Amino acid sequence: MPGQQQVSAARPYGGPGSISPVESIHEDTTAKWFMLSAITYFFIVGIIALTIAAKFVWPQLLGTVSVLTYGRLRPLHVNGMLFGWLLAADMGLAYYIVPRLCGVKLWSEKLGVATAVIWNIIVLGAVVALPLGYNKGWEYGELPLPLTALVVVAWVMFGANIFGTIATRKYEQMYVSLWYIMGTVLWTAFVYLTGNVAVYFTTGVNQANLNWMYVHNAVGLIFTPIGLALAYYFIPKASNTPLYSHKLSMVGFWALAFVYVWTGAHHMLHGPISQWLQTIAITFSLMLLIPVWTVVYNFFATMKGQWYQLRENVPLKFLMSGVVFYLLTCFQGPMHSLRSVNAIVSKTDWIPGHAHMAVLGAFSFFAIAGCYYAIPRLFRTELHSAPLANWSYWFLMIGGLGFFVTLWLGGFWQGWQWNNPSIPFIDTVRALKPVWTVRFFSGILMFLGITTFLYNIMATVLGAGSSHETAARPISA
Amino acid sequence: MLGKTDKSAVGFVVAALVFFFIGGILTTVVPPLVDKSWSKPFENNDPSKGPTGKLVQYTPEQLKGRAIYVREGCWYCHTQQTRTLLSDVKRSGWKGVDSPISTPDEFVYDSPHMFGTKRTGPDLSRVGGKYDTQWHRTHFRNPRDLTPGSVMPPFPWIVDNPEEFTALVAYIQTLGRSKNWRPDNDYEK
Repeated sequence: MPGQQQVSAARPYGGPGSISPVESIHEDTTAKWFMLSAITYFFIVGIIALTIAAKFVWPQLLGTVSVLTYGRLRPLHVNGMLFGWLLAADMGLAYYIVPRLCGVKLWSEKLGVATAVIWNIIVLGAVVALPLGYNKGWEYGELPLPLTALVVVAWVMFGANIFGTIATRKYEQMYVSLWYIMGTVLWTAFVYLTGNVAVYFTTGVNQANLNWMYVHNAVGLIFTPIGLALAYYFIPKASNTPLYSHKLSMVGFWALAFVYVWTGAHHMLHGPISQWLQTIAITFSLMLLIPVWTVVYNFFATMKGQWYQLRENVPLKFLMSGVVFYLLTCFQGPMHSLRSVNAIVSKTDWIPGHAHMAVLGAFSFFAIAGCYYAIPRLFRTELHSAPLANWSYWFLMIGGLGFFVTLWLGGFWQGWQWNNPSIPFIDTVRALKPVWTVRFFSGILMFLGITTFLYNIMATVLGAGSSHETAARPISA
Repeated sequence: MLGKTDKSAVGFVVAALVFFFIGGILTTVVPPLVDKSWSKPFENNDPSKGPTGKLVQYTPEQLKGRAIYVREGCWYCHTQQTRTLLSDVKRSGWKGVDSPISTPDEFVYDSPHMFGTKRTGPDLSRVGGKYDTQWHRTHFRNPRDLTPGSVMPPFPWIVDNPEEFTALVAYIQTLGRSKNWRPDNDYEK
């Protein structure tokens, strides 16, 4: 087994530390457009994020302007981060990874660029529509119908390009990142249609069940598999170490494929939905520990003897911190689904702490690492500043931890107070004020991290054209 | 079967979809077929079986108010479900009377559903009839005038639009009213 896994992990990669001849076949226009627009939206939507965090501390802030009220900006924050930043960055990195793992050019660069254009129209459309109050009223499914339709069109174009590239691949055996990306393409299609189209034909609890199937699997079967595809590709690449086990990665993948989709109803525990469905959701939520621990074990085992690289290697810092956050968030998730724990933490501020650890701490960290790794290579240059990249890591890390930990503590405390009905509700709101203040200042640190990330990437890209002699130079990791 | 899926893209696609659809269908298509209360509107005339009452369709004005509730994102901070927890039943209660728990048959006419996931503000599943129009007017203009410490945003553009304000209040007053559970000393009784 060790021999085989070394081959399968090492073969798709070019020679370490240099541009292989294979590298020069890639045009990568699509990958560049997706990544650069995603990073820009990360910054812009970060401003929205800070604004709504500030509104918890100063509720009158911008309060008389309807388009800037909390209920209009929150969906823009959520959709902007999920679709404008994270999914776009993930797609851009998929356009980078897939041709390289297949040893061929992207199936159609023209189709890819058209997809990037549509994706930008979707995000800009959301920036206009959501503050104006065009909100379909389903969580994660807020985008107005025309934009929803464009998402479907763009996704089909993305899928055609991915599968087209894979169908024309040179290497027969597909590395694990390819399965995860293919899985994402397939599952997202059905999950998205469930949460944005099927809901129209239902009402009440039936509709909520479909909505939560989508909400849960937006994370579980969209961001998780494509995020893990990045981690499986970039951890061996950034550390220049073969993946520990091909077979183990397979166990993790098929366990995820089977288990995740069952768990949507855990969003309505104790709520008005059939008890037996709640129990099924709880059971499968606990089974999620199997794929998660399998994947995390594989990553940790890959790093055995390589941990010293974390001192200097910023992409690897983001990747391995992301793995730790993934492990933690996916331990929290199954635990929240236990009825006793759920009775305390559900609907409290604990939950945004948990959700941000998944989407920012784990999956955004993977995408940031991918961008730091791929963008200098795409532009045949070196990263503008390694120390600045390190600063962006620490800003995001400390800000992120401040955000997660204070919301967990505050949310748990809030949940205990709610369970004592003699405490008036408003007292439980007042009690959270210090927590929300710390959250806001943690948000400022996170925003500094995003800003330095954006600046570093843009300086890299803009500097690439001006120094031609670097183009021929080998790239160091 | 799965051993070959890392070499065959077609085999992979088939397996990935089969795995997905087993759980997908059993948890989304099957439950409403099994549990009829998901689609049958609440109606009970027998006090021995719990609160009596009947769920009725929203009026056009109430629907208009509901659309405003959706538009303003009220549902990001207010849930609409009295869960099977003692504290929920107490907190949704009124003047010493516990509220009945929320059941699927109370939400049959709701689309988009407004169950919510986060309680930055209190749950609203039984708020109907608790506060009069004047209270809501003052509260929407500036929540902190009535509830010091509240973090709810002010909504002057709704209060200043009589048509929208009336519709929104009409919707709010329907919440949780299909079950007759309210205390005898309620001002509305």
